[in-house]
Amino acid sequence: MANRFRWTDIRCLYWRELRSALRERSIVVNGILLPIFLYPLLLWMVYTGITFVGGQTQGFASRVALKGLPQQHQAFKDELQRDVRIELKDSGDPTGEIRAGGLDLLAEFLPPAEGAVPLEGNFRVQLTFDDSKDRSRIARDRFRELLSRYRDGYFERQAGILGISRAQLQQFWIESRNVATSRQMGQFILGLMLPLFLIIMVAVGCMYPAIDSTAGEREKSTWETSMTLATPLTNIVAAKYLYVTTMATMAGLLNLTAMLLSMKAVLAPILGGDSDEMSFQIPPASIPLIVLATVLLASFVAAGMMIIASFARTFREGQAMVSPFYVAIFMPILFLQVPGLQFTPALAAIPIVNVAMVFREAIAGTFHWPLIGITLAVEILCVVVALWLATNILRYEDFLMGNYGGNLAKFLKERVLGGKRRGRH
Amino acid sequence: MDPVEVRGLAKTFYDEARGEVPAVQGIDFECHAGEIFGLLGANGAGKTTTLRMLSTILTPTGGSATILGHDIASEPTEVRKCLGFYSASTALYPRLTARETIEFFTRINQYSGDVKQRVDYLIERFGISKYASARIDKLSTGMKQKVSIARTVAHDPPLLIFDEPTVGLDVLNALDMQDVIREFRAHGKTILFSTHIMSEAEKLCDRIAIIHAGRILACNNLEGLRAVTGERYLEDIFVHYVRGQG
Repeated sequence: MANRFRWTDIRCLYWRELRSALRERSIVVNGILLPIFLYPLLLWMVYTGITFVGGQTQGFASRVALKGLPQQHQAFKDELQRDVRIELKDSGDPTGEIRAGGLDLLAEFLPPAEGAVPLEGNFRVQLTFDDSKDRSRIARDRFRELLSRYRDGYFERQAGILGISRAQLQQFWIESRNVATSRQMGQFILGLMLPLFLIIMVAVGCMYPAIDSTAGEREKSTWETSMTLATPLTNIVAAKYLYVTTMATMAGLLNLTAMLLSMKAVLAPILGGDSDEMSFQIPPASIPLIVLATVLLASFVAAGMMIIASFARTFREGQAMVSPFYVAIFMPILFLQVPGLQFTPALAAIPIVNVAMVFREAIAGTFHWPLIGITLAVEILCVVVALWLATNILRYEDFLMGNYGGNLAKFLKERVLGGKRRGRH
Repeated sequence: MDPVEVRGLAKTFYDEARGEVPAVQGIDFECHAGEIFGLLGANGAGKTTTLRMLSTILTPTGGSATILGHDIASEPTEVRKCLGFYSASTALYPRLTARETIEFFTRINQYSGDVKQRVDYLIERFGISKYASARIDKLSTGMKQKVSIARTVAHDPPLLIFDEPTVGLDVLNALDMQDVIREFRAHGKTILFSTHIMSEAEKLCDRIAIIHAGRILACNNLEGLRAVTGERYLEDIFVHYVRGQG
């Protein structure tokens, strides 16, 4: 009787929490505005910044010294002089000047290798540059591009003289072809970024409400008020838990929507024309799975943060207690950056990582149902364990009244593992 | 049956530094219907612990108590439906408006009548209309006090518990509070009231229990206490019992 759930009470308490939350600037900023605007905006700023810096670098003329250019290739020198990105310079000590930063590249034209096909005016080129300097690297790339173009023309002419085609003269070359469709490319990029941001946003959206509804209530002296309400404590805690989970889920899904809508525009500066060919869409069949995984992730993170924060007496103390858990959530998702990472049963058993992998695969439209099953089971198990722990903690009166002088670790050591039962209801 | 019946009620806390701390040591009393019953004691005497046990915030470690026939240990939700608890440590939710606060308490404490009518009545009755739409954290202490009283009686409970209700209030607000408590009695409410201010107890209470170190030393009306001790003023009566105990 004492612990009976009453849904009308839970609904009343839930709306009270939600209404209060939506009037708190920090919660609105962290739970709604940040997910919608911050990451798309941040990414846009970073990429635009990169493009701007790149543009600035592109604006420099590369200072190039030529050495030993054969007479019959003066046309190449003319081409270099016509290109505004290249500034030809004479240098007495080109290597020294490259090291000192006064010159970007030395191109030495050498006789062809011994035994090479006897073509008229054939040559080798040795490029000297400083790989530790951006300008020097850029000079190398620019020079290679121009030289490659000149070389193609040279082969064409020589092949004509010999009465054969350029392909016959050149024998072999490399051509690359991307078999991924525009949708697959878009999904690959989404799969890299979205799981990471989704998990970060769920944690960010959860943190403030979790602390505010536990330690914050103690600090504002409203916890005792709640304890006098004519409803069992389980209903009060259930409403708080639902509210924090709602805020975390909302933050995650808002961020997901914002990222999907803005991804193309955000990535345009860095992908250039390639972004036009990409399609940033999630397969419709994946949406229910992504929503379910987000809800489970939010439920787990909410339970964890609320349990930890409930040991604090003030909001600030709550922040200090929750921060390690907050960081711990991000650690496993660093795994996601490992190239070629495959979703395995072992990964499906690691909380947070498993959800991130499900997100990644769902975005690509891949469904490994046994692994998805393990992931959902593990996340549900985590939530159940967290709620069991919360139920145990709530039995202690000193904890409820804010008189317990310790944190979760101490509590677990003393009262769960150590078996102390003092102060239990 | 009296609205409040307390038999051998005890509470022992455990403190890591001090070990077991007996805050209330087997007290007995009852409150009659329609009276103001005062718990008079110094700081740390056990008043707040007693009232917190009766309002089911704390669980007793010994004895029993019933509120309108409901056992405080086995029927806490039923007990809370029957009482309104007011204390300085039960603050209002700062981000709700005054109206939302009263409506919330009316609903959650399961008021049986029309909630909107009840909220309108309480806003009118306590003169909250002008700031009913203002958030609690924007209100003055006096305004908050009125909203606090309104939320305490929102579900129209037959028993009201006031734990040191005038602590932190200025003289005028404290006098207002005393008037409100008298008015509740006039409307037939039973009131359990704790204070360490002698004049307040003398003016308000029909019967007074003097509590010290977790024990009730005397329980009677003012005339009865005067007759037993031979002292005229409540302050002297209180000192008589406490020193006698020491």
